[in-house]
Amino acid sequence: MNESKKYYAGCDVGSTMTKAVIIDDKGIVATAMMPSGIDPEQTAAKVLETACSQVEGLEPSGLSRLIGTGYGRNEVPFAHANVSEITCHAAGVHYCNPDVRTVLDIGGQDTKAIAMDENGRVREFVMNDKCAAGTGRFLEMMSRIFNMDLDQFSDLSLKAKKVIPITSQCSVFAETEVISLLSKKNPPEDIAAGIQASIAKRGFTLLKRVGIQPEVSLTGGCAKSMGLVKHLERLLRLKLAPLPVDPQLMGALGAAAEAAKTAGSGLKEASAS
Amino acid sequence: MNSLYRSALRTRYKFFDWLAKARLALHNGPVKTLLDLKRFPWMKTLISSDSLYNKFGKNRDGHYYEATLVVVSYVVHGFAKVLDDMFTGGDRLVIHEDMIPPEILRAMGLVPFMAELLGIALPIIEPHAVEEYIDCAESHGIPPDICSLPKSTMGLVLSGQFPEGIAIVSSNLPCDGGMSSYTVIEKKLGLPTIRLDIPHHFYNDRARSYFVEELRRMIKWLENNTPGKMDWDRLKTICEERNRMVDQELELWDIIKDRPSPLAAEPVYLSHLWGANVMPGHPESTRVFAKICDIARENRQKGKGALPDEKYRALLWNPPLIHFSDLFSWAETAYGVSLIIDSMSYNRREPYIDTSSEETMLMGIGQNIMEGPMARHTRGPAQNYIDDIFQIVRRFDIDMLWVAGHVGCKNTAALNGMLREKCREQGLPMLIINYDLSDPRVVSREGIIEQVNHFMENIMKAKRIDE
Repeated sequence: MNESKKYYAGCDVGSTMTKAVIIDDKGIVATAMMPSGIDPEQTAAKVLETACSQVEGLEPSGLSRLIGTGYGRNEVPFAHANVSEITCHAAGVHYCNPDVRTVLDIGGQDTKAIAMDENGRVREFVMNDKCAAGTGRFLEMMSRIFNMDLDQFSDLSLKAKKVIPITSQCSVFAETEVISLLSKKNPPEDIAAGIQASIAKRGFTLLKRVGIQPEVSLTGGCAKSMGLVKHLERLLRLKLAPLPVDPQLMGALGAAAEAAKTAGSGLKEASAS
Repeated sequence: MNSLYRSALRTRYKFFDWLAKARLALHNGPVKTLLDLKRFPWMKTLISSDSLYNKFGKNRDGHYYEATLVVVSYVVHGFAKVLDDMFTGGDRLVIHEDMIPPEILRAMGLVPFMAELLGIALPIIEPHAVEEYIDCAESHGIPPDICSLPKSTMGLVLSGQFPEGIAIVSSNLPCDGGMSSYTVIEKKLGLPTIRLDIPHHFYNDRARSYFVEELRRMIKWLENNTPGKMDWDRLKTICEERNRMVDQELELWDIIKDRPSPLAAEPVYLSHLWGANVMPGHPESTRVFAKICDIARENRQKGKGALPDEKYRALLWNPPLIHFSDLFSWAETAYGVSLIIDSMSYNRREPYIDTSSEETMLMGIGQNIMEGPMARHTRGPAQNYIDDIFQIVRRFDIDMLWVAGHVGCKNTAALNGMLREKCREQGLPMLIINYDLSDPRVVSREGIIEQVNHFMENIMKAKRIDE
C-alpha cells in the first residue's frame, strides 16, 4: 500500500445486511457485504476486513477515516465517528448522481423518504420504522410463501398479466391474504405483482410527504427488485434515476463520502467508478 | 448559582407548598381528606406535584431556575386551590369545558371546575397517570381513535372519580371528540347541561354579536339552574385584573424576542396555560407574571440568556407533550434548544378586554375564546393555522418548528400536510413528533427522543452537547 495514499471508509450495519465501502480521492476501491450476525461489532469487523483485503496492504486500522452508519453504527470498530443512515443515504446518492433530489430507501426493517438539496444535504425526511409493511422484511416474508428467493420473486412479478391488489396496511394480514389468494388458484405472478405494488404504494405515500422532486432514486436492497421498481415508476409517473453503484451499498458509500468530506479530501471531483 | 442557595430557594418554595396542602387538609377536615383520597385516587398525583420542581428545574440555573420555581409553585398552589374548590364549593361547583370562560362563572359567584384539567395535569406530573382512565373509557365502548384527553376525562367520570357539581357548561369546540365526550359526562353525572354554540367565522361582526348573545344565554341559563347571579361589577374587576396580567405577558413576549432569550419554556408557556385558562383575572396570576417579567427584565439587562448557550430557538405547535412535559428541559441540555413560545400561549394579538360596558366585556371574552388556540386552529379557516405559525416565526425569530403531532387529533392531521408544504416553501425546518397526547404507551418518551435525535442530526446537523 502506498503510505501517502488516503482511504476513506463507510460501514453500514443494517438490520439484515452489513456493508462496507472504501473510497479514495478518485472513487470506489472496494466494497463488501454480508448478512448481519447477532453481534454487530463482529460483523462490522469482518465486513471491513473483507473490504480492506481488496486493497493491497490495507488494514482497517490504516483507514484515514471511517464512519459508521445504520442501526448498529455505534458498534463499528475503529470508527472515527458515526452518522445517521438518513444523512448517509442522501450523501451516497449525491456522490453517485448529484441531480437526485428525492430518495426512497427501503431497508430491511424501515423505509425512509428523503428530500435533499443540490449539495446532497437532507432537507426533509419521513420514516416508517414502526410497521413491517412496505419494508424489505415484508418482501422477504412474501417471497418465502412462494418458496423463492428475492430475485426469483421479482422475476415472477414481472410476468404478471394483471395486478391483484394486496393490502398495504399490515404485513401479518397481507400474509394471510396472499395464502388465501394462492389457495383460490389465482395466478402467482399476479399476486406477486400485487405484493410489489403494495410496497411501492407505501413508499410512494412517504415520498409524497416529503415532496417528490425529480430526479428520484431508490436505494436499499429492495431497489434490486425490478418488479418493485416498475410499480414505483408507474406511481411516480417518471423513471427512477439509475445509480452506478449497488443501491444496497448506498448507506455505506454515503458514510465513506462523509468520511472523506469531514477529512477534507477534495471529494467534489471524485465520482463513482 | 451555588448549590446551597439553589437548595435553599427550592426548600422555601416547597415549604409554602406544603403549607398550602396542610391548609387544604385542615379546611376540608383531616378525616374527610383521607376519605377523599380513597375516593379520588388521582389526588395523590396532584399532591405530589412538587416533583415538577426537579422535573423542570434540574438542569437549569440562575434566573431561569428561579423563574421555573415561580411558575411551578404557582401551578402547585393552583392544584391545591382546585382541590379546595372541589371540596368546599360543592353547592356552587360548575363543571365546564376548557373553552368556557371561567371569568363569567366566577363573576356569578360560582366555582368553576374545568373538566379537562385533570386529564391535562395528571400526566404532566406522572406520565402514566391517566392510562387507567383511558382504558376505562375504551372498555365502556368509547372508540380508541378518539383523542386521549376527552377519553381520560370520560374515564374519570365513568370510574366515579369525578367531583360532584351542580351543572355542566360545554360547547361545540374545540374538536368532535371533546364535544361528544360531554354526552357521556352529562349522562353519567346526571346534571343540567348547556352547550354554547361558538361561531367559527369569528372575523365577522355578525358572528361576534351572535356569540355575545350565546354568552348572555349561558348567563341566563346559569341564573335559572344554579344559585349564581351575575355581578357585572365583579366581572369588570376580574377583566381588569386579567388585563393587568396581559400587560405583563406582552412585556414578557417582547423580552423573549431577544437572542439569546432571557427566559424560555415553562416560565413562558406553563404560566400562560394556568393563568389564561384556569385562573384568569386572579390577582395571583398577575403577581406571578409580574415576577416572571422582573426576572426576564433582569436577565435582559445583564444580556444573559436563559440557557448558558442558546443554539436554536424553537416554536412548539399544538398542546405541549403532556406525558413528556420535560421535553424542553431535556432538549435544552441535549441540544441547546430554547422553547421560545408555543401555540397555546399565542392567543390573540391584542388580548385585552374592553371593560367599558357589559357588552364590550362579553365581546372581549368571546373574542378571546373564538380566537383562542385550538378554536382558532381547528375550526376556523386552515389559513389561520399557517398564518399564525409564520407570524410567530417572524415575531420571535424562530429557527425551527416542532409540531406535537398527536395521533388522536384528526383536525390537525390534515393541516400538517399543508403546513409541511408551507415550511418547505419558506425554508423553515419542521419536526412533526408522532405521539399521543396523554398515553405514553402509543409512543414512549424514548420514542419521542429518537424522533428528535433524527431531526436534529439529519436536518439541523446538530450534535448532542450532553454526550
